[in-house]
Amino acid sequence: MSVERRPSFERVARVKGTLLEYLSLGASLVGIVALAVLLVYVAVDAFDLASASHEWILTYVGTVVVPLVALFLYSADDPGLTVRVTLALGGGPIASFMAFRLLAAMGGSVPGLTWSVFYLFAFVVPTTAYVLYAGSQGPIGATAVGLLGRLLGGIAAGLALVVLFVVFDPQLWTLAYTLGVLPTGALVAFARRRESSLANRLALPVGIIGFLAATVLDGLLVFYVRTWLLYVWSVAAPVALGVGLLAARERDRREAALVGALAFAVPVAGSLAGTLVGVAPRHALLVLLTLAVPTARFVRRALDADEGALGLVAPLLLAGGAVVGTLVVQAGGFPAPDPWLDWSYVTSAPSRHPEQAGLYPAIVGSIFVICLVAVLSFVLGVGTAVFLEDYTADEGLSGTITRVIQVNVANLAAVPSVVYGLLGLGLFANMLGMGFGTVTTASLTLSLLILPITIISAQEAIRAVPDHLRQGSYAMGATRWQTTKNVVLPEALPGILTGTILALGRAIGETAPLIMIGAPTTVFSPPEGFASRVSAMPMQIYAWADAPQPEFRYGVVAAGVVTLLVVLLALNGTAILIRNRYETEV
Amino acid sequence: MASSQPDSTWRTSRRTALAAIGTTGALGLAGCIGLGQEGDEDGGELSGDINIAGSSTVYPLMFAFAEAFQGNHDGVNIDVSRTGSGGGFQNHFCPGKTDFNNASRPIKDEEKQLCEDNGVEWIELQVATDALTVVVNNEADFVDCLTVDELKQIWQPDAAETWAEVRDGFPDEEIERYGAAETSGTFDYFTENVVGEAGAHTDDYQATEQDNTIVQGVQGSEYAIGYFGFSYYYNNPDVVKALKIDDGDGCVEPSLETAASGEYTPLARPLFTYPSTESLGEEHVAEFARYVVEQTTNEDLVAGDVGYVPLTDDLQSQMQSRLEDAIDQAQG
Repeated sequence: MSVERRPSFERVARVKGTLLEYLSLGASLVGIVALAVLLVYVAVDAFDLASASHEWILTYVGTVVVPLVALFLYSADDPGLTVRVTLALGGGPIASFMAFRLLAAMGGSVPGLTWSVFYLFAFVVPTTAYVLYAGSQGPIGATAVGLLGRLLGGIAAGLALVVLFVVFDPQLWTLAYTLGVLPTGALVAFARRRESSLANRLALPVGIIGFLAATVLDGLLVFYVRTWLLYVWSVAAPVALGVGLLAARERDRREAALVGALAFAVPVAGSLAGTLVGVAPRHALLVLLTLAVPTARFVRRALDADEGALGLVAPLLLAGGAVVGTLVVQAGGFPAPDPWLDWSYVTSAPSRHPEQAGLYPAIVGSIFVICLVAVLSFVLGVGTAVFLEDYTADEGLSGTITRVIQVNVANLAAVPSVVYGLLGLGLFANMLGMGFGTVTTASLTLSLLILPITIISAQEAIRAVPDHLRQGSYAMGATRWQTTKNVVLPEALPGILTGTILALGRAIGETAPLIMIGAPTTVFSPPEGFASRVSAMPMQIYAWADAPQPEFRYGVVAAGVVTLLVVLLALNGTAILIRNRYETEV
Repeated sequence: MASSQPDSTWRTSRRTALAAIGTTGALGLAGCIGLGQEGDEDGGELSGDINIAGSSTVYPLMFAFAEAFQGNHDGVNIDVSRTGSGGGFQNHFCPGKTDFNNASRPIKDEEKQLCEDNGVEWIELQVATDALTVVVNNEADFVDCLTVDELKQIWQPDAAETWAEVRDGFPDEEIERYGAAETSGTFDYFTENVVGEAGAHTDDYQATEQDNTIVQGVQGSEYAIGYFGFSYYYNNPDVVKALKIDDGDGCVEPSLETAASGEYTPLARPLFTYPSTESLGEEHVAEFARYVVEQTTNEDLVAGDVGYVPLTDDLQSQMQSRLEDAIDQAQG
């Protein structure tokens, strides 16, 4: 090459690069903004914010949001941020008000929104979210977020337990626990203490026999004991035992015993107090267990820590703010919204009167089906993935067969859900006689639907396990089964769980396959077992969207959509938690 | 003692988690067996399942009956599906999977045949009267009333392209059509009674089972026309304009009164439900069917809550005796 033809760097054009940057920014904004607008309108409909007065919204922003934001700003300790947030929250109402006035003067209007609702979603929500994020980087904010998260998560987990016991008979669980889980646990503990291999080997058969005995006995016996008492024995007691054992790792025996006793006594006593506020003690017990135990542990740790204990006031701030806000609203007589999505909506059956309509049977149905789908697709998906990754040869005839299977699994992931619905109808409902639109048929069909996604993500996770770990295991003389059980699966678990739970998110929103297998549009009571006919949240929402009365099409549908989204977020949140927990463990 | 053991004993390792997940799975699957054995409890109270499918026009009415019945009978589980009249007969009722099929038109011969082939016997019960409503955009000032013949020109297979072709003086604009899908009983009734031949319908239209879609379409264009059950119009009278229909005796508007008096022809139509005779042999199904017939004259429920015309007392007692005969036969 001659010297003259060297490229000259001064003449590189930046236009293309800049253009691409802004194009990609625009592309990502289109999706996010469209989704945000949709969610805002759905939320406005579901909570009837359109009929909330400006004073009502501003009062609650002032009493609930502002103190919380102040706490997090204190935690972030960033003067620049404080100024910006103050400007946004304080100037927001004025800016929104002026903007709406201006728009009205020009003859335009924003359909379905008032300036205060606009302020709420355009200023308060994003600012609060950002401040929460920025503040949680500091110790106070981190404590506050941790505590709020445990409170919310505890309530969610408790409600999930309540829903599970609606469909799973508490009596069956009590029998299974007493005859199966308890002896097995005792044997394992004994084996660990005395290093008795006999006890260890006996544990599994004893558990299985106990469980079978429980299922047989359940058909013969009827307990005339209150469900609350069953929960105390079969749920509260083992949880307290576990808590005590965990505490024994860090403290001496007496303290650990005290902690365990508290973990038992507080929820049990608290649940009896639940009668006073009109909550059934058996439900209160489950919620208090999942709420109190992690919260107490967290508070204890936060108090022990050097800094950040101030963050523990966050829930008090919120509760106090809500009380003050309510008092102010009542004193001022501000018109309050009448939300569609309220307690009665999630606890009552569908109705021909929109204000009485509820989603309860469909919520329970959806959660029940999804739990079964989780179990089935996890077992089948992981099994297939392990086989394809670790048990097949790469070459020769079996290698070719493996590749063919691989390609087909990948293709199956792209098959439309209606086709899976047809498969479910033909195979499970008609051929195997599992019933039309029953829980079993629905969960098997949905499991098949997400199976390819589960397999592929599990395969990726297994493939990501470094090969030297396997080789090391083999070099120590471990068999293939031992390597899979002790090295590969534990390493791959976070990835497998993430993939599975994200796939479940798809399954919970599916409507088409459920229509195909004849799942009813409306049921009035939650499923009572595996042979019950079941409806799901999206089915009921679809039916309401075509109801003659406009209140159904706007308010009730929006409330259903928000409920579905909350359940979905809870699922994905669980996925993220599990993943983070096991990723940091390595 | 935990404190005397090395730390690893009590740590929740991934292995333990895996074992826990495996156990949960096993418990879940075994619960399947456990719960499968239950059921069949005999008590004094009515108990059992009732499965209802069929017409989406009748769905709101049957839903209301079911909700009211369920309020008094906790042990009875009713489910209601919207499949279209034809879809319900074809896929659910005649194969013997449902106890009731709702229909917005009488059962067809081929459906009778299918039911007979599968050994499913049934009776026909009228539950209400509907005034099939033809709607146009609120802005469409040029039209208030159409004759049946003009309707036919709009909806027949070789349909008019523009409004001007339908009547002189109408604007020379293309007609946008929104109508019922072929699985729908509304489609069958409309073609039979307006076009004059079952199934004869223009292809140049948006077909849907969702009334809401029709309304959205008609709201979107000044020159659009659509038809659906009266209930939707009754609950949303302001969103679209209902046309009066002239069957030779002058223009008659669709309303509960004109449908009840029989003036609103030919679009006032009976709505049916078809219980299977075999299911009527079970006491809870029979009781529900009796309740439905009893409520068909309930103004508040049929007209007020849903928007259809209640039955006359005469017609009700006719249905009652038909039902009782079938129940006697099934349980006898």
